[in-house]
Amino acid sequence: MEITTAQLQTKLVREYYKYFSKYAKGKKPEKKVAWVTSFTPVEILEALEIEYYYPESYAAVIAASGKEQNMFQTADKSGLPRECCSYSCCFEGCIIDEEGPRGIPPKPDVLIATNNQCNTLPNWWNILAQRYNVPLIILDYPGDIIPLDMARLYVDKQHMDLIEKLELLSGNKLDKNILEISIENSRKSIAAWSNIISHMPEMNMSEVNLFDAITYLIISRCKEETASLYNKMAEEIAEYPKSEEKLIKVFWLGYPLWYHPDRYLSEELSGCRISGSNYITWWNLDYCGDDSFEKLFHAYNFTFLNISQRARTERLTKLIEQSEAVGAISLINKSCKCDFVSAKNIDLPQVELEIDMIDRTYLDIEKARRQIVLLKEMICIE
Amino acid sequence: MRILGLSSFVPEQICDVIKFSGYQSERTISNYCGYISDYLSQVIEDDSIDGAVYPKSCDSSRGITSYLDNSKKFLHQIHVPARQDEYAIEIFSESIKLYKESVEKFYDAVINENEINYRNEIICKRNTDIEAIYDNLEGIHYSVYLKLMHDLQKMPLNEQLDYLKNNRSESVINNGKKVFLIGSRVTDMSIIEGIEQSGMTVVGDNITESKRFYSQRNVEGIGDIYKKIANSILSNRLSPTQNNFCEILTNDIFEISRKNVQGVIFLTQKYCEPYDYLYSVYKKALDDMDIPILRISISGTTSVANNRLLLEAFSEMI
Repeated sequence: MEITTAQLQTKLVREYYKYFSKYAKGKKPEKKVAWVTSFTPVEILEALEIEYYYPESYAAVIAASGKEQNMFQTADKSGLPRECCSYSCCFEGCIIDEEGPRGIPPKPDVLIATNNQCNTLPNWWNILAQRYNVPLIILDYPGDIIPLDMARLYVDKQHMDLIEKLELLSGNKLDKNILEISIENSRKSIAAWSNIISHMPEMNMSEVNLFDAITYLIISRCKEETASLYNKMAEEIAEYPKSEEKLIKVFWLGYPLWYHPDRYLSEELSGCRISGSNYITWWNLDYCGDDSFEKLFHAYNFTFLNISQRARTERLTKLIEQSEAVGAISLINKSCKCDFVSAKNIDLPQVELEIDMIDRTYLDIEKARRQIVLLKEMICIE
Repeated sequence: MRILGLSSFVPEQICDVIKFSGYQSERTISNYCGYISDYLSQVIEDDSIDGAVYPKSCDSSRGITSYLDNSKKFLHQIHVPARQDEYAIEIFSESIKLYKESVEKFYDAVINENEINYRNEIICKRNTDIEAIYDNLEGIHYSVYLKLMHDLQKMPLNEQLDYLKNNRSESVINNGKKVFLIGSRVTDMSIIEGIEQSGMTVVGDNITESKRFYSQRNVEGIGDIYKKIANSILSNRLSPTQNNFCEILTNDIFEISRKNVQGVIFLTQKYCEPYDYLYSVYKKALDDMDIPILRISISGTTSVANNRLLLEAFSEMI
């Protein structure tokens, strides 16, 4: 019998959470454990047989379960103020209280942080390193601020250094074949995901499903099942009815609101639909190149949040064109200064909402409502 | 050439820059570091400034170019590595070279290596002189020392040695409670005055314009000058943006213990996340040592009177 979308999702989720305290029943992973940031070259970890977990993603899960406020309070008491990235505050509260919707992840043997998304994550990982007293490896990706050949050399050296350190830690030797297969799996997952989101402008797709479905690209992009899952989803989406023509197409520029049941301000956007979002393309990494190292360099050095404003504007302009959006909701996210500026230079009616992707109390809903009404008026006039 | 430089990662060896020391602005960018927001305003509004050089080292500094893009002034962002190993020295030396080339191109100038070497020598001498003053911190008023540092950093490099020679701080007997100061640049001197007037003596620090300005290793001898500069700057007391909290704690706690410090004052800028994160581990380490810590957030709206009250209460407590 052919495996279904739901079965594939369950398999991936079960596999990822099996050692979280709620399900592990005291059982510990046999492999070494790394806690990683979302844009870590996890293909290397696959090839070294190291388990990896994403604290940021788990913070989103905590917010979706409605438990984030208690976590903030705990984190604040421990010295991490609420002004800091909500992902970190939420997760810190969770591990201090040892409480979360799926328990807590298995303790790390190593922490790996990258700065190709923001500089806050490596700071946060420093706190984790103090707490668990385990090695911390920082991967520094210069992006397009320095010439390509220099950046390539620098990143390659760091990737090789990472491998050396992890080989020592795990006692395993890097399997080059698995590394290549993992990269290929990531590439296939991304291709399949891109196919899904290409249907966004015309198909009647549920925003919450889409924002939640990207989780697999984040936590298991180099697993074989992820591409299969996305291909299946794409087949199903192709059968969906077309969306209503009369709905106004809006581009969602920023993070999903993890605490919101629809992941965006659906109640304020009646008469509109989200036809595109930059967040759901952040993990569309470009693994171009001839060998594994070159592919990893391109994928992880040139992430959307690690490129210059000019390059970002170019990418964003294309995305907005593809989405056919006539207006944009731009999020001035308390937790992510790096995404603040994405919307600059975008020639589209837009409103900027001061918001947080985790902390539901941060938004001034009355103000947001007025801004959205104004946007709708602007769109109609134009 | 009047380039406004942000942070101690901008290599002084290449050319003189005006070190950013604060500016009153409206701070219209939500949740953005107030210090960098003020820097942006000065670059945009101050006609006497024709360029800006800044690092890519924290979330707020990453986006600086986006805000200045239309300024038509010289703009250069320096990649500051988030590591401290030999790869970091190599890439940072390349970044310094790029900065030099970028200045030469924009200002149609030639900066030769002799000049860079000469400036490097002055910096080495100056840092040795500052270190001697710092080592005697208990015998001078900290506010006087800090003012000296602020004034010094506004001057062209070739005037700094003479300035230090001609402005010896008067010796005093400090009987105050010994405190250690850590944080980003002190843009509000009333806090330092408040510390002293509350009966406390700053006996050591780890702040941008003091320890993190002069403590770099003097790198002499032959070899690639850019690598020497990179090595030197990266050997400075670390900033939390360099992502090695462990080393920061080790160095600071060694000094705090050695000087029998009774309390630590931690200065942060509003929305300056690197220091916010550092604070949480710093606090834990000091709690374990039974050393009280006071955190003061410098924002455009913080009242002087409120800070005074906090400092007086802290002084009484220790």
